[in-house]
Amino acid sequence: MTLRARLFLLVGGAVALTVTLVTVTVSNSARRAFEALDRQRTGALVSQFRQEVARQRGDVANRVDMLVASDGLQRVLADIARQATDYSPFVGEAGSLAAAHALDVLDLVAADGTIISSAEWPARFGYQSSWMTARIGRHDTPAFLQPIELPSDTALGLIAIRTVTVAGRSFAVVGGRTLDQQFLGSLSAPAGIRVLLYRNVEPEVARLQLVDASGHVPDASQFEPLISRVRQAGVEATELVASVDGPLSVDAIPLAGLDGKVLGVLLVASSERDLVALISRIRWSGAGFGAMGILAGLALGYVLARRVTRPVERLSHAAGQVAGGDWSVRVDDTSASGEIGALQRAFNTMTNQLAEQRDRLVQAERVAAWRELASRLAHELKNPLFPLRLTVDNLRRARGLPSGEFVEVLDESLTTLDTGLRNLNTVVGRFRDFAKMPAPEFGDTSPNDLVRRTLGLFKAQIDAADPPIAVTLDLDPAAGSIIADAEQLGRAIQNLVLNAIDAMPHGGTLTVRTSRAGSSFQIEVADTGAGLTAEERARLFTPYYTTKQQGTGLGLAIVQAVVADHRGAVHVDSTPGAGTRFRIELPTVSGAST
Amino acid sequence: MRRLKSAYLAAASLMLAATSLQAVRPRMGGVLRIESTATIRLPANPAAVEPTDTATVDLVRLVFETLVSVDGNGIHPRLATRWEREPQGSRWRFHLRPSVTLHDGSTLDAARAATALRASAPSWTVSSDGDAVLVTPEPPLGDLPWVLAEPRFAIAVRSASGDVVGSGPFRIRRADAGILSLIAHDDHWEGRPFVDEVRVQMGRSPGDQLADIESGRTDMASVSPIDTRRLASRGLRLSRSRPLELIALVFEPHRSSGEQAEWRRMIAASFNRRALCGGLLQGQADPANALLPDWLSGYRTESADRPPATSRAPLPSAQRDLIVRVDPADPLSQSVADRLAVDAREAGFSLKIQAPRGLAPRPDARIIRVRLSSTTPERALADLLTRLGARALDGSGATAPSPGAPLDAVRETERKILDASVVVPIAHLSDLYALSESVAWWNAAPVVATGSLDLANLWLKGRP
Repeated sequence: MTLRARLFLLVGGAVALTVTLVTVTVSNSARRAFEALDRQRTGALVSQFRQEVARQRGDVANRVDMLVASDGLQRVLADIARQATDYSPFVGEAGSLAAAHALDVLDLVAADGTIISSAEWPARFGYQSSWMTARIGRHDTPAFLQPIELPSDTALGLIAIRTVTVAGRSFAVVGGRTLDQQFLGSLSAPAGIRVLLYRNVEPEVARLQLVDASGHVPDASQFEPLISRVRQAGVEATELVASVDGPLSVDAIPLAGLDGKVLGVLLVASSERDLVALISRIRWSGAGFGAMGILAGLALGYVLARRVTRPVERLSHAAGQVAGGDWSVRVDDTSASGEIGALQRAFNTMTNQLAEQRDRLVQAERVAAWRELASRLAHELKNPLFPLRLTVDNLRRARGLPSGEFVEVLDESLTTLDTGLRNLNTVVGRFRDFAKMPAPEFGDTSPNDLVRRTLGLFKAQIDAADPPIAVTLDLDPAAGSIIADAEQLGRAIQNLVLNAIDAMPHGGTLTVRTSRAGSSFQIEVADTGAGLTAEERARLFTPYYTTKQQGTGLGLAIVQAVVADHRGAVHVDSTPGAGTRFRIELPTVSGAST
Repeated sequence: MRRLKSAYLAAASLMLAATSLQAVRPRMGGVLRIESTATIRLPANPAAVEPTDTATVDLVRLVFETLVSVDGNGIHPRLATRWEREPQGSRWRFHLRPSVTLHDGSTLDAARAATALRASAPSWTVSSDGDAVLVTPEPPLGDLPWVLAEPRFAIAVRSASGDVVGSGPFRIRRADAGILSLIAHDDHWEGRPFVDEVRVQMGRSPGDQLADIESGRTDMASVSPIDTRRLASRGLRLSRSRPLELIALVFEPHRSSGEQAEWRRMIAASFNRRALCGGLLQGQADPANALLPDWLSGYRTESADRPPATSRAPLPSAQRDLIVRVDPADPLSQSVADRLAVDAREAGFSLKIQAPRGLAPRPDARIIRVRLSSTTPERALADLLTRLGARALDGSGATAPSPGAPLDAVRETERKILDASVVVPIAHLSDLYALSESVAWWNAAPVVATGSLDLANLWLKGRP
C-alpha cells in the first residue's frame, strides 16, 4: 500500500470516525430527549384517563341517585309495593327508566333479591342475582366495577346500588353503565392515542374481550402478553407493542372490583409512529450529514495525502530511475520544505556523488579492461610471435649455411612463419568477431531442432571423449517455435555445450533440456564437472575472463550478448564438485517485439 | 237561599245525567282508523284466502258473511237462521235469513248462496230449495256447520255488473296506495254500523303501530303483549281474543331421535311457562301445556311446569349447549327465547339464541308461532301438524286426526306428541289490539273470542 493511500485512509478514517461519533451522539441525545417528552405526554394522558374513569364512576352514581329521586321510579316502586309479590306487570319498567336516565344497566330488585325488572336482560325477571342479593341493605357506595351478565355474554359495568324504601317495602335499585366501546368513545382521546378496554370476565385471556372505541380489536393478539401480565400482577405496566398502525407505547391500568380482583384492564396506547418517524428523520439526517462529513474527510485526506506524498513520490520515482541506471535524475520540487526539502537535497547530493563514483568506476573499469585486453592480447600474440621470432633468428643464422641446407631451413622457416601468421590472424579475427557482433535477424525458430543440430556438431568430439561423456537430451515436445535468430542462438548454445565438454575432462553427463513455461522459453545446458567457485561465478560473463588454458574468455560474453539481444536472461547455478547448469530464458515473442 | 241551592243541585244533576248519557250513547259517523302489518288484497272469492293470513281473514269477515259463526260460546246463526241434517243421509239444509241485502242492493236468495258455496267447495253438492240451501259435503261431515263458519265459506256473490259483492256490515270503497277503505253497509241485516268508514293503513311495522296508537294517530292497532303495561299506563284499552296462536319450541331432526327424548323432556321441564306468560307476556297469553288451548280442545292438560332444579351435575357440552333459532323479524319470539334461555340456564343448559339474517350454523331447535285456524279440535290439530311438518310426529307414533275424529283420538294423538317432546308447547297467544280512548262500544268487544273484528258495533266519541 502506498504512502499516499495510507495517509488518505488515515486522515479520511479519522475524519469519518469523528463525524460518525458526533452524529451518533447527537442523534441519541435527540432521540432520548424526544422519548422523554413522549413519556411525559403519555403519562399526562394516562393520568387524565384515570381521572376520566373516576369521573365516570361519579357520573354513574349521580345518575342512579337522580333515578332514585325521580317521580317515575317512586311511582313504579309504589305500584310494585301495592302488588304484594306479583311482579309480573312490572317486568318492562326497568327498560324505560334506564332509557330515560341514560343507563345501560338497571335492575329493580326486591328485598329478597328477586329481580323484578331488568333493563339489560329483560328476560331475567323472577330470578335472583347472587352479587345483587349480597349487597342489598348495605350502605350506599360509590360506583364500583362489576361483571354484568347479559343474554349473550358477560359485560363489565360501573355499577351503583341504592336501597329505596317505598310504602314500607325495601327495594334495591342497581344502575350503571357498561364499559364498552361507547364508554371508550366517551373518553375523549387526542389524536394518536388509542384507548382499549380488556374485560377480564373469562378464566383465560380472550381476544374478543378486548375492545376499543370502534369495536373489536383486529390486532388484539399483540396486547395479550401485557394484559396477561397485568391480570396476574394487578399493577400498572408499560410495554412497547407492535400493531398494524406501527409501534405503540401501551400503559395498562388494572381496574379492580370491590373485592380487589382485577376485572378489567384499561389500555392507553400512544402511537410511537410520529416519534419513530422523528427519530428516523434524525437518524437519516445524521447519516446524511455523517456521509457528507465522511466524503469531505476523504476529500481532505486525499488532498493532504497528495500534498504530503507528492515530493516523496517524486523522490521515490527518482530513486527508481537511479536504480534503473539513470543517475542523472534530479528532484527539483520548489514546494518541498522542511524534512522533505532536506531529503530532496540529500537525494540530489547522493545522485551527484553516485554519478561521479560511477564515472570514476567506469573509468577504472575501462582502464582495467584495457589492461585486461592488453594482457590478453599480449598473451595471445606472445605465443604465436615467439616461434616467429625464433624462425627469423634461425633464418638469420642460416645465411651462412650451404645453399642446399639454407633452402631447406628457409622452406621450413617459411612454413613456420605461415603457420604463425595464420594463428595471429585467427586471434585477431576472434577479437574482431566479438567487437562486431551483428544485429540479430529474428525468424521462426524451433529451439528443439536448434539444440539437436548443435549437439550434432559436437557428436564426434563427444564420442571421442575418454573417459566418455554421456548426453541426456530432455526436449519439451510442446516447445513449438520461438521468434529468434537461429544462427546467433545456435552459437550461444555451441559455446555453452563446448564449455560443458571442456568442464568434464574426466567424463560425465551432459544434459540439455528445453521447456516452455507460459510466455517464456528455457534452454538448460548442464554438466557434471568440477563446478565454479563464487569468484568464478561473479566474473563468468566478463569478456576475456577464462578459466581454461586455451580459452579467449569471450564464449560466455558472446552468450550473454546474444541472449540480451533476444531480451532474455542467462542464469547460472553451480556447486563446486557437482557441476554447473546454465539456463537461458527467452521470451517466446522476443523477436517480434524488437 | 235553600231554594237556590236546590236549583243548583238540580241543574248539576241534570248536567251529570246528560254527560253520563252522552258517554254511553252510540254516536254515528266518523272514520275508524286501523293499522295493519300486512298488505291486504281482498280476493274475489273468500275461499282463496289463506287461513294463516289473519289480517285478511279478519277483514273478509267484515265484507263477506258466512252462514253461521262461532265464538267462545258456541255456534251462532248468521246468514242462515237455522239448519238441520236430513235423517236419511249426509245432506244438510240451511234456511237462509230473509231480506239480506247485498252491497249492490240486491237481495241474497238461496240460489245465489248455493252458487257461492259451490265456488268455495267444488267437490260438494250444493243446491237450493226455496229459502234453503242444501249441502251434501264429500266426504260427509258431521260437523258441517262448524266448517261453514270458517271465512273461506263466506258468501261472495257476483253482481250483474260483474263485481263480487258480499253482505257484511262494510263494503269495499277503495284499495290503493297502502290504504284499504271500507264504508258502512247501510242495509245490513243487523243494522247500519256506527262508523261511516273503516280506513286500514297497511304495511305498518309493529313499532310504527305502537307509536301511532300511543300518539293518537290511529284508533286501533295490533300490539304485542310485552307492551301491555306501557299501553295501559297511557290510558289505552286492550281487546283480545281467546288464545289462537301456539308458541312452541320445535327440535330439529338431528335432535329428534328417540334416544334424546329424555334430554328433550329435561329441557322442556326447565321452562317456567307461568312466569313467562305472567311476566314477559303480561298475562296476555296462557301457559301452553298442550298443543291446543283448553278452550278449543275441551280438555285440560296437566301443567308442564316443573320446579326448577336447584342443583344439577354439569352436563356434557353436547347436551348442555343448544342453539335455538328465532325469526329475526319477530321480536316477540326473540323475547320468549331469551326468557327460555334464562330458565334453561338455571337448569344447567346453555341456550344460544340465533336470529340470523343470512347463513348461520345449524340450530338444534326453533321457536315457531303457529296460528290455530280451525274451530274444531281435530281439524285444528290436523292443521297444526300439517303446518309443523312431519317432524312434529317424529318419535311419537301418532298420526294426524282425520276430520270428525272423536275427541279421545285427538287427545291421544296430542298426548303422544307431547310425550315425544319434539314439539314443546310454550304459550298460547291471543290476538291483542289496543284501542284509543275515542273508541267506544257497549258489551260486544271489538275483538271476538275467535279473533274476528266486530267493528260494526264500535263508535267514535267526540270526533266527527
